[in-house]
Amino acid sequence: MKWSQFFSTSIGKKLLVGATGFFLCSFVIVHLAGNFALLSTDEGRGFNAYADFMGHNGLIQFIAWGLKIVILLHAILALQLTFKNRAARPVKYAVQPGNATSSWYSRQMAIMGSILLIFIIIHLKDFWYAMHYGDLDKITYDVNGKEYANLYKSVHVAFKELWIVVIYVIGMIGLSFHLIHGFKSAFQTFGLNHKKYNGIINFVGVWLFGIAIPVGFAAIPLYIYFCM
Amino acid sequence: MLNSKIPAGPLETKWSKYKSTVKLVNPANKRKIEVIVVGTGLAGASAAASLAELGYKVKAFCFQDSPRRAHSIAAQGGINAAKNYQNDGDSVFRLFYDTVKGGDYRAREANVYRLSEVSGSIIDQCVAQGVPFAREYGGLLSNRSFGGTQVQRTFYAAGQTGQQLLLGAYSAIERQVALGNVKMYRRHEMLDVVTVDGKARGIIARDLVTGKLERHFGHAVLLCTGGYGNVFFLSTNAMGSNVTAAWKAHKRGAYFGNPCFTQIHPTCIPVSGDHQSKLTLMSESLRNDGRIWVPKKKDDNRKPSDIPEEERDYYLERRYPAFGNLVPRDVASRAAKERCDAGYGVGTSKMAVYLDYADAIERYGKIEANKHGKDHASKEEIIVMGKEVVKEKYGNLFDMYAKITGENPYETPMRIYPAVHYTMGGLWVDYELMTTVPGLYALGEANFSDHGANRLGASALMQGLADGYFVIPYTIGNYLADEIHTKPIPTDHPAFVEAEKGVQDIITKLMTINGTKSVDHFHKALGKIMWDKCGMARNAQGLQEAIKEIQALRAEFWKDVRIPGTAEGINTELEKAARVADFLELGELMCMDALNRNESCGGHFREESQTEDGEAKRDDDNYSYVAAWEYKGQSQFELHKEALNFEIVHPSQRSYK
Amino acid sequence: MNLTLKVWKQNNAQDQGHFESFQVSDVSKDMSFLEMFDVLNERLINEGKEPIAFDHDCREGICGMCSMYINGRAHGPWNETTTCQLHMRAYNDGDTITVEPWRAGAFPVLKDLMVDRTAFDRIIEAGGYISVNTGNAQDANCIPVDKTSADAAFAAAACIGCGACVAACKNSSAMLFVSAKVSQLSLLPQGDPERKDRALNMLAQMDKEGFGSCTNTGACEAECPKGISISNIARLNREYIRAGFTQE
Repeated sequence: MKWSQFFSTSIGKKLLVGATGFFLCSFVIVHLAGNFALLSTDEGRGFNAYADFMGHNGLIQFIAWGLKIVILLHAILALQLTFKNRAARPVKYAVQPGNATSSWYSRQMAIMGSILLIFIIIHLKDFWYAMHYGDLDKITYDVNGKEYANLYKSVHVAFKELWIVVIYVIGMIGLSFHLIHGFKSAFQTFGLNHKKYNGIINFVGVWLFGIAIPVGFAAIPLYIYFCM
Repeated sequence: MLNSKIPAGPLETKWSKYKSTVKLVNPANKRKIEVIVVGTGLAGASAAASLAELGYKVKAFCFQDSPRRAHSIAAQGGINAAKNYQNDGDSVFRLFYDTVKGGDYRAREANVYRLSEVSGSIIDQCVAQGVPFAREYGGLLSNRSFGGTQVQRTFYAAGQTGQQLLLGAYSAIERQVALGNVKMYRRHEMLDVVTVDGKARGIIARDLVTGKLERHFGHAVLLCTGGYGNVFFLSTNAMGSNVTAAWKAHKRGAYFGNPCFTQIHPTCIPVSGDHQSKLTLMSESLRNDGRIWVPKKKDDNRKPSDIPEEERDYYLERRYPAFGNLVPRDVASRAAKERCDAGYGVGTSKMAVYLDYADAIERYGKIEANKHGKDHASKEEIIVMGKEVVKEKYGNLFDMYAKITGENPYETPMRIYPAVHYTMGGLWVDYELMTTVPGLYALGEANFSDHGANRLGASALMQGLADGYFVIPYTIGNYLADEIHTKPIPTDHPAFVEAEKGVQDIITKLMTINGTKSVDHFHKALGKIMWDKCGMARNAQGLQEAIKEIQALRAEFWKDVRIPGTAEGINTELEKAARVADFLELGELMCMDALNRNESCGGHFREESQTEDGEAKRDDDNYSYVAAWEYKGQSQFELHKEALNFEIVHPSQRSYK
Repeated sequence: MNLTLKVWKQNNAQDQGHFESFQVSDVSKDMSFLEMFDVLNERLINEGKEPIAFDHDCREGICGMCSMYINGRAHGPWNETTTCQLHMRAYNDGDTITVEPWRAGAFPVLKDLMVDRTAFDRIIEAGGYISVNTGNAQDANCIPVDKTSADAAFAAAACIGCGACVAACKNSSAMLFVSAKVSQLSLLPQGDPERKDRALNMLAQMDKEGFGSCTNTGACEAECPKGISISNIARLNREYIRAGFTQE
């Protein structure tokens, strides 16, 4: 069986969705760690240096482009499957089971994912695009006179806008429910369903990816908006 | 004169000698031969798959939406095989002996011996197919004792043995479908056999989705269409189980063997009201641990738990101390009926007896307490532990009971009553499974079979698969070897045209009656006559009345049945009507056969023929034969007798006391 | 008790179909759900109307023929129960019950509540078997199978092919059905020689039939009348990966 065939079946596509999902899970951890630098009151020294490094290191750049491809791949495959799944039931039921047989967020992965995708586009436009192609203020911190784009400032300005904070919080709610199901679901897709390990997988999915990380992300705009 | 074609020679070598001398069809010729298999239960699916594997072109038909749904799927308990894996003295001979004796000496020795001989191969075949039989921790197959036999020879897959065996045969047939060797016709019902020059050459089938009649040619036709217990309306059979294929064959010249031999299974859930559509069997294995009783007082309306031990009548243990609750099915059923008829029945209908697990729960609880060294366990603890054990062994059956009745069988005794379960009678076949119509075969429950007048538990699955996997692949060659020059007969042959017209006429007639009563009305009325007068106990007067009543009911049916809709497309009422029309003819023959057989044997109990203490009395001098009935026109049947000669097992009166 | 039934009526596969309401009175709690339909049908016939067509056969929960989607639930509200085993004590006087056929593109409606499930047969034809001709088998005890595997194989083999998993799945996926058969045969040594082709071919056929993919919502497991676990789906995924990575 050719690889192209292997990845074109319903399970094959799900494996790609799962694998890209895992990669994105690892990315959100790294991303969140960096974001915490936003909360320091060092005028953005740490954060801007971090952003500069991320923006100019070749390897990171390579991964960053890969990341965008992965996001796209994840979204396109998932949407493709979603449309095919919808088409598999041309006539809908008059009565739905509600949550009697499954959790609502497990059924709404496409919706949560779409919210996330829109969020990511807004997010990239606001910060990533501004950082790379935009016209950010410059700032220097030391005698060497190295200039940094002041992303720190632009983030802080943005997060003083209520509507932007709201968008970010909604985006993170989407992320939360997407990952509560997605993390566990990816293990199942990879065939990892074992009584001994299901508990820990579920725990990590819910508490780390479903709660800790989205709350961490959402806390930053909220904190900036209310407390800084 | 009936020729059963039993090979000469000693019993043990008949089958092997037959196999080594039977005519063969060479592979090149097999490809040119078409075989029609009607029904896809254990017998049909196994036969269709095995014949296709040999190279024949097979067409298989089932009325359900998939071959996997045939009613063999509902068999619970297990399948017997003389493997002697338990080292408890089982052998081919013992299984043979038990089956002949259990059948009350009304089966053919040679057939039963062959059945017993091939029984081991069935288990091998099924395991190789991936049937997940129960296993021991060492990885080897587990056995249990069943139906009161003294050896453990029953292989099982929880309470779903029939399902697992059928799915094995189903996978085999589907594999042949994929290979193009079997063409599967689903939602098709066979409505007539086509004979050309006296030989079976095809069938007329109705596509139940389009309503169209179809003609299909075959060099031979195999009927694997199951039993006719639904003539009683209420039975443990599936709603669709019917006699139509066998009955049409009968009308085309196939003799009907022992039609009155019906098995009434003792452990079924009782009727709950007029709405009842079918009865549900609780596996016979329940009698291994449960105790059956009724109150000693008539019309005792107390709750079972309020009836003290000394006021309970454990009537099976009282009447049959040696076998107790494990007497054969026919004996247990009649004893329950006797108690209920005498006014000791329980439940709202008073037509039920208790099957009590309280003792078993306590006994198992004590064993558990001993195992865990709890010498001073309280009664409550013992009962909790006992319930766990019972749940492990019978949980699925108890759940089924609870779902249907809404009662908790762990707390209160189950109510049970006998119900029609299996028909030992069926199309008469010779040793090669061929009916009296050349080229027309009957397999499994559809033939009059190897069970005599009473079938032992776990033997139906064995017989269905024996016929399909290991008998017909050999015996059909003996016939087809002479058919290799027969070219497929075009289906515009006058015989096909005539047969199709006959079927069409019946359908048209049914659709134009436009009467006032539903098909079920007639079916229920027929069932009541049959149950009351040709059920667990029969007498000459009742049977004579029944025959008249059935004739009158049949006349009314053809005048007053109402079938809405049209014959085009799906019409479930039309399907039922065609089946009930045949039941209305079969019922009459069953009563005639029961009337003719003025002896009690196995499941057939004639009140005129009983001992002083009410036990069945066989009459070997006058009735040691198979009654094979020939159809001679409406209500006219001619009796042919095939004498049964017992060379090895000498008939004796069965005693379980 | 008295009930209102809203039942899907559809003359044939080409027909549009619509809901029709029926009042059913004097329903006994001891009736099964299908017996309630029998009573209604008997009345319709007596009124000269066409009865409601539905699939059913064994009426003891094992043949897999019955297939009603009742108030949004495949086989109704009870767990591990088929429609034919559902009893009317599950309902109260005055209830309205909506009954629909299984809905899936791969299960076209034939009439009223009857659907065509031959897609399942074709999936089995694609590899749901062990290729052993009659007479090929060695002695049954020559193939020891450890009890845990045998029990797990049995639990998977308990599938009755009713299609409730497809009906319950928001994607109309047949993964539980496919995985039950693949699991049964891959857990047994007898199934080993064909395991790769089996997983690949059965999945390919499932896709071809137009069933959806699995998004692990677990609805199939919740509705399966035989309690088949979605751990079987994980096993199918493993079998697929194993086959895909090693098959040339």
